[in-house]
Amino acid sequence: MNSSTITLHAPAKTKTQGRLDVLQMISGVLLILFLWAHMLLVSSVIIGPGVMNAIAWFFEETYMAQVGGPLIGLLIFVHFLLAARKMPWKTSESEAFIKHSVMMKHRDTWMWLAQVATALIILVMAFIHMWVVLTDLPITAVKSAARIQHGGWLPFYLVLLPIAESHVGIGFYRIGVKYGVITADNRNWYKRKEYALMGGFIVIGLITLVRFMYLPLYSGM
Amino acid sequence: MQIFYTDLLCIGAGLAGERVAVEAAKAGFDATCLSIVPPRRSHSSAAQGGMQAALGNCVMGEGDSPDIHFEDTVKGSDWGCDQEVARIFADTAPIVMREVAHWGVPWNRVEHGPATYYKGGKPFEAAESKEKHGLIHARAFGGTAKWRTCYTADGTGRSVLNTLDSMCLRYNVNIHDRTQAEALIHDGENCIGAIVRCLRTGELMAYFATATLIATGGYGRIYKATTNAVICDGGGQIAALDTGIVPLGNMEAIQFHPTGTVPTDILVTEGCRGDGGTLLDVNEYRFMPDYEPEKAELASRDVVSRRMQEHMAKGHGVKSPYGDHLWLDIRHLGEKHITTKLREVYDICTSFLGVNPISDLIPVRPTQHYSMGGVRTNKDGAAYGLSGLFSAGEAACWDMHGFNRLGGNSLAETVVAGRYVGKKVVEFLKGHSVDFKQSALRDAHAKIEERIKRLSGSSGKESAIVLRDEMQDIMMDYVGIFRNGKDLQTAVDKLEELHARSMNIGLQGKAIGFNPEISLALRIPGMIKLAQCTAFGALQRTESRGAHTREDHPERNDKDWLNRTLAYWKDGDSLPTLKYEDASPYFEIPPGERGYGGGKIIHADIPAEKLHVPESNASDNAASAEDTK
Amino acid sequence: MSRRLHIEVFRYNPLDPESKPHMQSFYVNEYDSMTLFIALNIIRDQHDPTLQFDFCCRAGICGSCGMVINGRPGLACHTQTKDLPEHIVLHPLPVFKLIGDLSVDTGVWFRDAGTRIEAWVHNDHDSFDPTQEEARMENALANEIFELDRCVECGCCIAACGTARMRTDFLGAASIARVARFYLDPRDERNVENYYEVIGNDQGVFGCMGLLACEDVCPKHIPLQDQLGIMRRMLALHSVKGILPKALIEKLAHKGCCHENHKS
Ligand SMILES: Cc1cc2nc3c(=O)[nH]c(=O)nc-3n(C[C@H](O)[C@H](O)[C@H](O)COP(=O)(O)OP(=O)(O)OC[C@H]3O[C@@H](n4cnc5c(N)ncnc54)[C@H](O)[C@@H]3O)c2cc1C
Ligand code: HEM
Ligand code: SF4
Ligand code: SF4
Ligand code: FES
Repeated sequence: MNSSTITLHAPAKTKTQGRLDVLQMISGVLLILFLWAHMLLVSSVIIGPGVMNAIAWFFEETYMAQVGGPLIGLLIFVHFLLAARKMPWKTSESEAFIKHSVMMKHRDTWMWLAQVATALIILVMAFIHMWVVLTDLPITAVKSAARIQHGGWLPFYLVLLPIAESHVGIGFYRIGVKYGVITADNRNWYKRKEYALMGGFIVIGLITLVRFMYLPLYSGM
Repeated sequence: MQIFYTDLLCIGAGLAGERVAVEAAKAGFDATCLSIVPPRRSHSSAAQGGMQAALGNCVMGEGDSPDIHFEDTVKGSDWGCDQEVARIFADTAPIVMREVAHWGVPWNRVEHGPATYYKGGKPFEAAESKEKHGLIHARAFGGTAKWRTCYTADGTGRSVLNTLDSMCLRYNVNIHDRTQAEALIHDGENCIGAIVRCLRTGELMAYFATATLIATGGYGRIYKATTNAVICDGGGQIAALDTGIVPLGNMEAIQFHPTGTVPTDILVTEGCRGDGGTLLDVNEYRFMPDYEPEKAELASRDVVSRRMQEHMAKGHGVKSPYGDHLWLDIRHLGEKHITTKLREVYDICTSFLGVNPISDLIPVRPTQHYSMGGVRTNKDGAAYGLSGLFSAGEAACWDMHGFNRLGGNSLAETVVAGRYVGKKVVEFLKGHSVDFKQSALRDAHAKIEERIKRLSGSSGKESAIVLRDEMQDIMMDYVGIFRNGKDLQTAVDKLEELHARSMNIGLQGKAIGFNPEISLALRIPGMIKLAQCTAFGALQRTESRGAHTREDHPERNDKDWLNRTLAYWKDGDSLPTLKYEDASPYFEIPPGERGYGGGKIIHADIPAEKLHVPESNASDNAASAEDTK
Repeated sequence: MSRRLHIEVFRYNPLDPESKPHMQSFYVNEYDSMTLFIALNIIRDQHDPTLQFDFCCRAGICGSCGMVINGRPGLACHTQTKDLPEHIVLHPLPVFKLIGDLSVDTGVWFRDAGTRIEAWVHNDHDSFDPTQEEARMENALANEIFELDRCVECGCCIAACGTARMRTDFLGAASIARVARFYLDPRDERNVENYYEVIGNDQGVFGCMGLLACEDVCPKHIPLQDQLGIMRRMLALHSVKGILPKALIEKLAHKGCCHENHKS
């Protein structure tokens, strides 16, 4: 509010901005939890396609996939709306920020830029991914493997995987910072944990992809 | 030209300026503060130690009272102070400490129970009382009978200045930073404002004010080695002196500190020596015991400074691109002690000198530290000579410090005088309306404009930078800690010549808008005048008192010199005109031994009626200078 | 030792219509214990007397000399040349209004921020009674307040903040830490609601994106990160009061700070 908008109405006290911040944080946390859970579920294929199929079956039988899937889509969209408030949409803003990052050579500053960049890619890719998976239920290991082996989806996932993981990893660290859980004292510890977590999930993801690549498509069904 | 109108114009927004402004603003007057830098950058922020006030809360301050504080102050001044003022100061100080506490200063507080303190480098135990728990604590400072220096960790100036600045915000004091007062507007009787140069655009502006306060701090920059900030160039004192009718008091009273660091002259605390640090010369030889067998490095500030100077003069100094210096050695105190008890020293050495005091020697030399003299005022803070002109803080010679101020007394003075003078200013504002004479404004403005024109013209051949360096060297070499007739005469002669040359300054570089070189060029002639007041006053004062030490006149001569120098500068003169007035209207404590420093005293016959506090000491002592010489 | 330093300085005089922003090189011999304060003064004294920069205390206490030194905001007076490479690049602090060359207007910026957050102790100043002893306070609390009062308003944290560079109305870490200072202070009678009004928005705590450049450049090591966290959590929880259970809010609000006994 400033002196020109104050003329429009008697200023009401509002808690909106605080609530939006909390919502953004909650949407972020839920998405983190989702992505990690999702990663673990998919990577169950490493143990064996049977395990993954069983889990998928469970989610579909309970309609968690059919309902949960779109809900996650919605959550991503809501998260996008909330986070978009902070994104440098104006060229002047993005230019300023990029110049700033170059000047500062400061890792946490670069990380935010990475988060914005990954966000835009996720926005497109996550919805494509969800559309493809959810319009072709049931989820089975073989179907996924087929997409990767013959559908040309491997490069798609090789991009989405690290991008999603870094977005989430950075987000996790920054939520901690913003809300004072990560303090000056334990910042380095958390940072190391964050890298380990990010790296760990990317490795698990890659192993999963490899597993899909070499999964025989006609056995086990 | 832009013209501002205000009730109170404070030239300077350090502790003193802001405190007076707050008082006026609280009383409903429009107050405006000018400052070269944003107020919180004023040099008050650099004072780390603390403020003296006889609260007597801590165990080492038990039984303290304003009487004892008063006595310490008078002794410290070597009986050069105005005792009426010192009394007002000592009595008001505790109230003011509480007042700023109410406004938000986070004073350190008493914590009951046993505590370990240091005295003379040795730890000892003392128990703080339970009844005093949570009240304002105090630490030790030199020259005091009790521990009474209130402090906030190592940043007392910072936190009190923050608080006062927040009060200025609260009471809507106008702050015009990056401005520099160049001249007072006056008609020979009333001061009605100032001509001011904007340091953003280089433009001149005028301020009309019913009351004008000079609170511009010290003028340490007339010396090369000074702990003062680079903006401590005496702008306010110069403006007062340039009127020709306002005198400066005791300009020869300059305090030096033994351990300013080289090259940037940042102060390191006395605690280094207190805890056992030693001074070494170029051969890493410990020389102080040769001069002062008993106390060695722990002799008083002025004595140690003098000995260091003497030793360097004999050629035992360490040569460096920044001039000669000596070494301070605290290596033997050990890493633990240095990084805990002397942490601030450790920080200064590592971040400014690139020296690690645990393994290296610290380069030090005696360094100008404080100016006791300044714009002479009466006890109400009103300057002599012009009605409506006030002064407070280090810029003023309110004169509670005489010839030597005690550590912790100057920072306290800024707020105590600020409050007291502030109330007097409010009384003045209530009782006065002034005629803002355009002719006075035009005169003052024309003078400054003319000077700027002359600088920018091509006639001037002298460089302001060269003149500054020469002046600073003269002051260091001839008007330092040890003074004698011959050196002082040399200084006076050389400064006279510099003064003449300063009429002929030309600019080296040209810039549209604000040009930093013009700032310096405008200031230099005035600074040379201040230097001359200092040198000439010192030459005339043929005695040793407090910080003023004459080798050729080692005794304190109360018979002839129990007085205050008043320096006037008549337009066109090349030397100040000196007059003298009694040091104090009466002597609540008659002149005597300080109890330290030694030295012979030539006693005075003081009339009996002057040896007690007069019944009606509230009566306004008129601000007329009496010629006692 | 004795290097020859190549100091490249940003030059621009906004008042001169002819002047264009450009970099100018100066060469200076390095001495022992040389700081940028000394180097810049040598340049002004010997090479170009019109060069604009700000120094005051030259001891790292006043905050005048913030500038961008080889890409990072810092105090020039407490930067030693021996810690820098031979080639030193100096820029004025971004975000603040440029006055000329290396000089920027931090004073007006901070004054404006101070007005916006009403940076003074809100109590009845007239209630001060000179005859009474001062209100008591725990020494630990006094130290904690002072810890935040040490800020010298140099502006480094603002200039280092990506958010402040994108959004000119962002109050920045120093202002938020200043509010935290008053929040800590029992003499300030404002409650959480009042603090929310001044910084509970995207120009205040919720605008901060946790980039921590502020924390990493602050020359006085003010605990900015921790205070930003504490204030954000406290005000965010305040905004959902009545939505989340009270007990939960109480529990989260006071984690990791000494505000337990604070009014809310
Ligand atoms: C390093 C150091 C440590 C110290 N430590 C202590 C201590 O521990 N205890 C103690 O009691 N004392 C100490 N002192 C002394 C004490 O700090 C000063 O005497 C005191 O702060 C002076 O305050 P002031 O308000 O008079 O002036 P300052 O704080 O110096 O303020 C001067 C103001 O005037 C302005 N100004 C100057 N010229 C002009 C002009 N021409 N036009 C407009 N504005 C102008 C400046 O911008 C500034 O705002 C110390 C001094 C130094 C140098
Ligand atoms: C739809 C596309 C997405 C966009 C446009 C987007 C955008 C952003 C942006 C700009 C931020 C930074 C916000 C800030 O700094 O305040 C952010 C934070 C975050 N994002 Fe995303 N994101 C997207 C999808 C996702 C997904 C799919 C996940 C997880 C599965 C996720 C997890 C996070 C987390 C945990 C944060 C930190 C939250 C916070 O700082 O409050 N995001 N996102
Ligand atoms: S918080 Fe630190 S960086 Fe920011 S203005 Fe204060 S001292 Fe400077
Ligand atoms: S933590 Fe907040 S205030 Fe600090 S630099 Fe980052 S966005 Fe700016
Ligand atoms: S000049 Fe004061 S902080 Fe650098």
